[in-house]
Amino acid sequence: MRKVNPIILIAISVVGFGGLLIAGVAVFFLFNAWFGLPVGAQAPDQPIDFPHTVHSGSIENGGLGLDCTFCHRNVAEGAAATVPSVQQCMFCHKQITGTSDKAKIEISKLTELSEAGQPVNWKRVHRLPDHVEFVHDAHIRYFSEMNGISASEVCSTCHGDVASMVKVKQVRALKMGDCVDCHRKYSAPTDCTICHR
Amino acid sequence: MVIEVIERQTRKWQMVVDVDKCTGCQACVIACQVENNVALNSDEIFRQRRATEWIRIERYWEGEFPNVKARFLPVLCQQCGNAPCEPVCPVFATYHNDQGLNVQVYNRCVGTRYCQNNCPYHVRFFNFWEPVWPESLRNHLNPDVTVRSRGVMEKCTFCVQRIRRGELDADREGRQLKDGDIQPACAQACPTDALVFGDISDSNSRVSGFAENKRKFHLREELGTDTNVIYLAKVDAEAKDRSHA
Repeated sequence: MRKVNPIILIAISVVGFGGLLIAGVAVFFLFNAWFGLPVGAQAPDQPIDFPHTVHSGSIENGGLGLDCTFCHRNVAEGAAATVPSVQQCMFCHKQITGTSDKAKIEISKLTELSEAGQPVNWKRVHRLPDHVEFVHDAHIRYFSEMNGISASEVCSTCHGDVASMVKVKQVRALKMGDCVDCHRKYSAPTDCTICHR
Repeated sequence: MVIEVIERQTRKWQMVVDVDKCTGCQACVIACQVENNVALNSDEIFRQRRATEWIRIERYWEGEFPNVKARFLPVLCQQCGNAPCEPVCPVFATYHNDQGLNVQVYNRCVGTRYCQNNCPYHVRFFNFWEPVWPESLRNHLNPDVTVRSRGVMEKCTFCVQRIRRGELDADREGRQLKDGDIQPACAQACPTDALVFGDISDSNSRVSGFAENKRKFHLREELGTDTNVIYLAKVDAEAKDRSHA
């Protein structure tokens, strides 16, 4: 048998292992993209540290126990759930200026924006592609009527337990497979124009 | 958990275009452009014959000077029951839904343009460019309608976003959808009421009233496309061509 230069052997093995590694990384990213949450769905830093725990957390846990619909007013009436305006925040926060130091700082940010007439530039957490039209009201109505629960109890089906999140993050993939699975499960229409138009 | 089957009432949407009432004012064209985020056309684009108009007014001159008459014919997607565009799509981006609509799914479309070639009415449009709007119009886009990107076919949808909204609104208010609840942008804008939209399966709707009209004709009926847009011929004793006059 002809003797092969060991350097060539090492080179071949390095290239081989390198190729495997790159292929492995590529497969990992593909799987991650297919099954995981969309890129950028992790909890972003918000301009104001708004704690859902304080506002919508249950009273036993030291929250106020507000309904989701108290602030996201349009959720049962239209396609968009709507983020409340600064004016709507000030409806309460004119009086409530916070007890802890942290809360005082965050609420003062809000007051400043309100006085300057500026909106809060919240970072979007749940984003669907442009060619998808999600309609909140139909989903809220169907689930609340079917299970006999209030509108605010339906939200967690897709959004997770936001009331216990200090920083809101996306919990469900909210990709087309996710939507269609659920639509099939509840015999909801699966015509393309329901979402794509 | 109880699984309920939602009963969806089958509807069949149709539009009646009364050519006798059309004055060729182009209000429908503009209304459609605004409602459906249709890209703006320039002179250059018209010269290239790539203009996107989901509904257009075709103009015909009839007679010799001084007895010239202008004839107008609004042409939009005929939502064919037997659509030539559908079987040629290799990716099923265009298909027929249960309400008689010929649907274009933008995110499935790969832009082969076979459907455009096979359409006898020239109502399908290809996005040759990424659509651009002047900065002042950026916030005027309709959020309920997808902005089609480059390389995608588009066409009149019978304002399906309004149909869905109308259905949901009726559902929320716990009532049945009634005739006239849903109007596409063109029909809403028409000052002479030449465009009438409705559900043909509802025997009391306005479009059903036109079903037996003597002036009724379809565009290119000989092709057997079974269109869902009904035209009513112009009432004019002197007209030479009865089909569009």
